[in-house]
Amino acid sequence: MAQIPLNDLSPKDCDLTERVSDLRKNYFRAVPEICIERPSLITCYHESHGLFSKKPISILDKAKAYRYVLEKRTAIVNHTRAYEKGMKPFKVKEKTLFAGSTTSKFKGVPLFPEFLSLTLWPELWTISKRESNPYHIKKSEVKKLNYNIFPRWMRYNILELARERSIEEKRKSGRQEKDPPDIKLLERLVFFLTSKANCISHTIPDFSRAIEDGLREIINKADKKKDKTSDGSEKEFYGAISEVLEGIISYSKNLAKEARALARKEKDPARKKELLNIADINDRVPELPARTFYEGLTTIWICWIALHLENPNIGLSLGRLDQLLYGLFSEDIKNKKISIQDAIEMICCLWLKIGDHVPALPDASEQLFGGSGSNQAITIGGVNKEGKDAVNDLTYVMLQATELMKLRDPNLNARYHPRVNDKKNKKYLRRLCEVNINTGATPAIHNDMAVIKALTAKGESLEHAMDYGVIGCVEPGSNGRFYGHSGAILLNLTSALELTLFNGRHRHTGMNTIISKETGDPITFKTFNEFKAAFEEQTRWLIEHATGLNNLLGRIHQDFYPTPILSALFEGPMDKGKDLVQGGAVINSSGAAIIGLADVADSLSAIQKVVFEDRIIPFSELLHALETDFEGYEYLRKRLMNPDKTPKYGNECQAADSNVLWLVKLLDSAFGKKKNYRCGHYRVGYWTMTNHAGFGRLMKALPNGRKARENFTSGITPVSGVTPDLSKALNSVARLPTECLSNGVALNLKYTPHDGNRASMLKNFVASVKGYFDKGGMEIQFNVTDRKKFLNALDRPEDYLELLVRVSGYTAYFKDLNPQMQKEIIDRTEYELSTGRAIPYDPIPLPG
Amino acid sequence: MAYRVARSISGCFPAFLTDVFWTWLARLFNRRLKKELSANATDKFLEFLLRGMDRGFSISKGYRKNIEDFKAGYVFRTADKRVSTAVSFKDSDMKVYEDEDEIEDWDVRVTFKDSAALISFLFSKNQDIINSLLANEVEVDGNLNYIYKFGFMARDLVRRLPFV
Repeated sequence: MAQIPLNDLSPKDCDLTERVSDLRKNYFRAVPEICIERPSLITCYHESHGLFSKKPISILDKAKAYRYVLEKRTAIVNHTRAYEKGMKPFKVKEKTLFAGSTTSKFKGVPLFPEFLSLTLWPELWTISKRESNPYHIKKSEVKKLNYNIFPRWMRYNILELARERSIEEKRKSGRQEKDPPDIKLLERLVFFLTSKANCISHTIPDFSRAIEDGLREIINKADKKKDKTSDGSEKEFYGAISEVLEGIISYSKNLAKEARALARKEKDPARKKELLNIADINDRVPELPARTFYEGLTTIWICWIALHLENPNIGLSLGRLDQLLYGLFSEDIKNKKISIQDAIEMICCLWLKIGDHVPALPDASEQLFGGSGSNQAITIGGVNKEGKDAVNDLTYVMLQATELMKLRDPNLNARYHPRVNDKKNKKYLRRLCEVNINTGATPAIHNDMAVIKALTAKGESLEHAMDYGVIGCVEPGSNGRFYGHSGAILLNLTSALELTLFNGRHRHTGMNTIISKETGDPITFKTFNEFKAAFEEQTRWLIEHATGLNNLLGRIHQDFYPTPILSALFEGPMDKGKDLVQGGAVINSSGAAIIGLADVADSLSAIQKVVFEDRIIPFSELLHALETDFEGYEYLRKRLMNPDKTPKYGNECQAADSNVLWLVKLLDSAFGKKKNYRCGHYRVGYWTMTNHAGFGRLMKALPNGRKARENFTSGITPVSGVTPDLSKALNSVARLPTECLSNGVALNLKYTPHDGNRASMLKNFVASVKGYFDKGGMEIQFNVTDRKKFLNALDRPEDYLELLVRVSGYTAYFKDLNPQMQKEIIDRTEYELSTGRAIPYDPIPLPG
Repeated sequence: MAYRVARSISGCFPAFLTDVFWTWLARLFNRRLKKELSANATDKFLEFLLRGMDRGFSISKGYRKNIEDFKAGYVFRTADKRVSTAVSFKDSDMKVYEDEDEIEDWDVRVTFKDSAALISFLFSKNQDIINSLLANEVEVDGNLNYIYKFGFMARDLVRRLPFV
């Protein structure tokens, strides 16, 4: 493929166009609005077609329901109104290049009553006034949700269907239970979260056939396969594929019709022309193959909207767009159909469209885990399927758009292959670091060598591994063929430690209740190995329950929520003749993310050193210190927190690092042995989103000196404040075996922004990434904002509305994070690159 | 009994008369509800709330719409059974039982530490719901969607009382 030489990798004369600037301004001004269009339509269809009484619901029924929604939903080309802070309406003149939106609102909150939207029910009257991230909702919409929509789903959402199924299964085996234990554990909040109750998402569709062949061609293929097969379920599957794709085509044509109607009324000739062009494009794609870059982007956008109608968007990711669209882009540039500036403007408009919705979160979730967008990852760069350099001009165009826009969504992830990408020149990694400095938080950078090794270790072919894209936060998965629900389980590892320390009991749920197994009172343990054995048993117990519940929820998805839209846009289902939830993908795994790795590792090291090796205190006293939250044990806490006295992960300390290694291997092996409901295996990753703050808030003191309610450490990062040397911290993390980290890692670092010597800062920045990757590090992401700025933003959030931060995996606006998460960001270790040393700090007080 | 009668005839009243009833109910309950929703909540809070809801359903067609075609059983209790109440909804009617054992079956059971915890849980003002989670003060068994609906109805009652 011929490459267009992009001479200036970061064009200085490139600024936001007036159109993009206006759209961006409105994007930040608008508060999210609850949209009831989808729940109204889907409820209406379920009721009128008797789906509430069908068990199970066939894929064809579901496909017809989605087609109905796609055909009936409002075709919106230009939004005209939005709401701002204080819930005041304001006029929007949206001159976007892409018609359609994921909801009927300018910035919408889509609702999925099949999943967890009913959690918003108690708050419907107050949600527009809540302190944290309020949503606008009209009185009439509250009434419709309360009277007509939510009541229909009380027994039919995923979690309740799972509860019912579990009770039935237990009853058959002679046990009467009102509340299945796995679901009970989920509802106790401190053990694990299983996100299938909310959605599957967390994967990358395959847009290539939609772009190259068009949906009509896929329908034709499905029809032929339907005629050919004698298998009833396959016939149904192919019929479902045709139904949903016809729905998507109709939706696009409805948009075209609306664009033409608007063009007729439009007085501005330039906009009139644009609207007619939009109409022509939407009339053609995604039904037929895309011929231009603009048509390619539109194809992706329309399919993206359709995918959002099927599943709540949590971590549904767009994949390697710079590879997918490069052919169309380069042709258009070569033929002078578009300029680089045009391409940047189109990408900017698409970026804004992608961020046109936010996930629905009730107040409690907002306060525990809030601030997240939908985590829609885009992947750029790296190597191609053949292992050759895949960085192209479009890679740089996307970087440029990201740098200009500084948006939370999409979550840009850059692949970097140390031996391939900078072979010709040293500009790519340098540019990635430069964009991080300029945006303060993006893109995350992935080491291709380590990631490919991790994926092949799990049985993926080299070709598939080399074609990985990043999902959600940081999870790698082969682009368009990996159905891995990488965020299926979020496991709070500190709860396994808690159950070990208190012999199967948990301080959060009460010391009178035995939650798990009694693995022995640690006071009676003679050796550290005995403690480790007990911890291992508790960990395996926790994993057994988390995977058990995930599999149960998976079976409910199979019976009630097949995904024909996603299956139509994926490699595998069309060949196998079955839906993704039935195992139709080429690669079928499930993913777990671990919360609290560093805290548990350092706690193990502390117990090993202080109780068993140096015998400073007996176990009983340590437990007492934990129960009193170190009240009266300040001397002990100081010792436990001191890396010179107690081994800490992240200091190249053998004793500490070997405990992390043991944990990582244990988790990989324990999860790896479990099979999911699609006969795939579980993979383990270390990225925490905001859950390390949420879980931290619920948990009591730990042996590493962490006090009750304090944050846990994010991702795979060492504990804040105990790793003074950047090189040592990077080396410790890089040593972890990548084959055990196949569900991705997030190493969160905070660098002090340059203080005048930008060139030197950039040089050191590049060196830190390169050094970490050379040692085998897998992923790295940054906040390049100093403590002072964060503290200012805490005091005057209105002055920092656009302050972008890297949480643990995704990016967020600092103002949207809950106070606990803001504290975590502020208290992260900040390194000065010129010295490679951490800047000493006093942690800010825990929010009340 | 008077409320049952009111319920049966309120359907004939024009909307503005229903508003008059709400005002009347608000005057009747205002001070007590305010007290019960504050930090001074007593064990009587639940009884008071349920009575308020029952009367709300009796006098207001709009509020009663919440329980049209709604069939459900709820149990509310403290862990020490100091408070133990059950509620059932059927045929647009609400029935309160003095003891949880009086109800045949329940869809959801809420066990709470004390009335303050229950108020936080149902009304989740500011960060109270987080605090009730942090302190593990409320435990819910069964279908959570029923408690979400109940939460809506409780708040809807408070919203309709003009002086609260």
